[in-house]
Order: sequence, then structure tokens, then C-alpha cells
Amino acid sequence: MKPFNYMRATNLHEAIGLLAHHTPNVCLLAGGTDLLIEWRRPSACTPENVIDISALTEMKGIESGNGRIVLKPLTTHAQILKSQAIIESAPLLSVAATVIGSPQIRNRGTVGGNIMNAAACADTVPPLIALNAEVVLQSESERRTLPLHELFLKPYETVARPDEILCEIRFEKLPVKARSSFIKLGRRNALSISRLSVAAVVARDEAGVITNARIVPGATFPRWRRVVEAEKLLVGEKASAELFRAAGDTVSELMIAETGHRWSTEYKEPVIAVLVQRALEQCCR
Amino acid sequence: MLQMNTLTITTTINRRNYTLCINPNQTLLDILREELGLSGTKRGCEIGECGACTVLMNGRAVNACLVLAPQIEGQEILTVEGLAVGEQLHSLQEAFLEHEAVHCGFCTPGMLLSAKELLDENPNPPETDIRFAISGNLCRCTGYVQIVEAIQAASANKPERKP
Repeated sequence: MKPFNYMRATNLHEAIGLLAHHTPNVCLLAGGTDLLIEWRRPSACTPENVIDISALTEMKGIESGNGRIVLKPLTTHAQILKSQAIIESAPLLSVAATVIGSPQIRNRGTVGGNIMNAAACADTVPPLIALNAEVVLQSESERRTLPLHELFLKPYETVARPDEILCEIRFEKLPVKARSSFIKLGRRNALSISRLSVAAVVARDEAGVITNARIVPGATFPRWRRVVEAEKLLVGEKASAELFRAAGDTVSELMIAETGHRWSTEYKEPVIAVLVQRALEQCCR
Repeated sequence: MLQMNTLTITTTINRRNYTLCINPNQTLLDILREELGLSGTKRGCEIGECGACTVLMNGRAVNACLVLAPQIEGQEILTVEGLAVGEQLHSLQEAFLEHEAVHCGFCTPGMLLSAKELLDENPNPPETDIRFAISGNLCRCTGYVQIVEAIQAASANKPERKP
């Protein structure tokens, strides 16, 4: 690992001040499960200044109340998957946290790091977008809130400026009647990187008619998004295999339209359609 | 070339307090093996995939290769060297010996510590939980069956020993 100037922030205010002072040659370090691997690569572009925020207690924890969840960015995947509040009000996020990396990675890796690293395969991102999550970015000069899906420009690139820190992730709890699911397709069970994933939410009325549907595939589009084109097919209809197949096919067509044909397209084209279909079926069991 | 700052940190490793002078670009694994001579923790893949460098940090299994050395300030680290108390082996170590769960031995320290986190949390885990708990530890000798048996034997829910 190449040398760098290391600073440990003791509170959020100090971290923001250090960021402002050293911007743009600066990088925040949280759990380190992505960054340390990156920095050790021979061709790595290590930052001049590293601000370690892992000791900031005010940036850790899950708050639940008034129908919403506030996730502090330094909350680890292990803490998310064990949280009763998340299991009850956002089970798809709990499932995603369970399938990230390994026990060791989940004990260190944080949800904030997963978001800000902005890898296309980040497993907590599709569920959070399906939950219509918002993120709060803070710098010395401003504090701004934006929908999570607007944070991302492309893989590994966000709209956050180098002097901004992610300080909160929040979302409304899912309605009691809504069902959700998350399916990850990897090459093995543990320590796998998502080849494709799908987060889905479906709510139905007493008559079984779908009133709300959200579909967010992972590692599928250059930018994460809800696939409203497929969601629209579902609302006002009753659950059926044909309906879910149509939604899956729509996602698949859009994937090809947006990413073009790649070496993996032959595989991904039918598979993403099936994953969407299964994710929707899981919501309607 | 950037002039790097050295840091003085205090930490607890295997129940002993240390004040260490470190370079910030070292990892916990570097400190354990190169500075303190605690070579029981193995250097494997160094990308957090093999689990050979697993240690406990405040009771939680972590990859020592993915913890930056300054991040152990004020934390409690337990390595395989700290499992035994004096001459008394930990019940997991006894069980690994008894069940021949050690083949080449390279994964063993990490396996022991992942298993310890599990048993500390749930002294009576079902087999699926054991397999889940060691899913971040690779055994290239593929001796998983004996390892799972050993962890079961060390748990409160001891299965009958096969004749």
C-alpha cells in the first residue's frame, strides 16, 4: 500500500472540516472492505489524505419511529441483518445484507460505504431504491437531501462532491400489506459478487389487485433505477404468471436497450427476466 | 514522495495492552505478523476472500488484512494465540484435535475464531448456522465435514461421538 496522510476524525463536525481543508485529494475510510483491497493493487491510485471516520459513534445505528427508518451510514451489514426494525419494516434490505460478502465482511462493511463506493453490484442499493430511500449529504457550506437513485452517475461515480459526506439514509417503512423480496444471483453462495439481482415490492388490495409495484434490478443498468415501465404493467392487475413474465421481459428488453449487446447478454437476457418474475412471485405468495 | 506520518496507538491484543508505533498504511495483519511475531494469523489472499487472517475484534470476526492498523486504536483483538489460557486449550481447539479437523492447518486459526464468534453468540447452533458462520473461511484441503463436526462437538449441543 502506498503511503498516505492519515487522520482520525473524532466527530462529524471535525470530519467535515478536514474534508473541506483537504478537498479534493482526500478519501473517507469507513469499514475499509472495498478501499483496502483497492489501495493494495499495484496500479492503485491511492489518495494523498485519508480521513478515518470509523470511530464516529454518531454515524452508527438504526433509528425507527414515526413510520420511518433512519439508517446511519456506518451501520454494518451485520447490524442491519440482525435489526428487528429492518426485518419488520424492510425485509428485502435484511435479505440483501445477509448475502453480502462473508460474516467477516458483514462485520466490517457499512451500508454507507456500500452506497458511496457505487459499484454496480452493491447489494444494499437495489432494496434501498425500492424503498424510495433518500440520502443526506453534508459539507461545510450546505446540507442537501436527494433521492438515492439520483446519487449515482455511473458505476463507481456519484454526484457527491469530494467535500461532502453521506450522513444519513432514510426511508418510509413499507406498509403492512406490502410484500417485498430480494434475489441475488452469484457464482457461489458465500463471498460472491452479484452478477444480477432484483429487489421488488408489491402491495395488493383486498380483492388481490396490485396497487403498488416497485422493481429495481442490480448490476443490470448503467444507472440504478426503478423500472417504472415494468411497474406500470402490474398496477391495477391481479397477480399471474403471465403478468410477471411480461414484467420480466420488459426489464430484459430495457437492459439491452440501455447497455447494448455484451459478451454476457446471451445469458443475462433470459435470466434477468426470470429473476424479475421470481422476485414478484415471492411478493405474492 | 509524500512524507508519511507515523502514529502511536494503544490497543489490546490477547488480553495484553500494547502501545505501538505504526505506519498508517499497515494493516492489522502486518502488525500481528511482522511487528508482534504473532504468526498464527495467516496471510492468505489479502483481498478478504479466504478468511485465513480472521481474528476477533471486540468479539466479532474480521479479516485482519482489511483492517487498517490505526483502526485498532482502543479495540480488543483476539488471535489464535490468545485462545488457549496458559496450557489449557480452548474447547474448540480440543475439539478440532479430537475430530481431526486440522489437515494442512493453514485455515485452522481463522476457522477457530469464526467458530468462536458463533458459539459466543449461540452456544447451541444448528448445523446450518455453523456452515453459515464459517462461510468466509476457505479450507483448500476441503476438510469441512470434520470442521463442522468439531464445532458441533465444542458446542453445548454435543452430538454422540462416532465409534
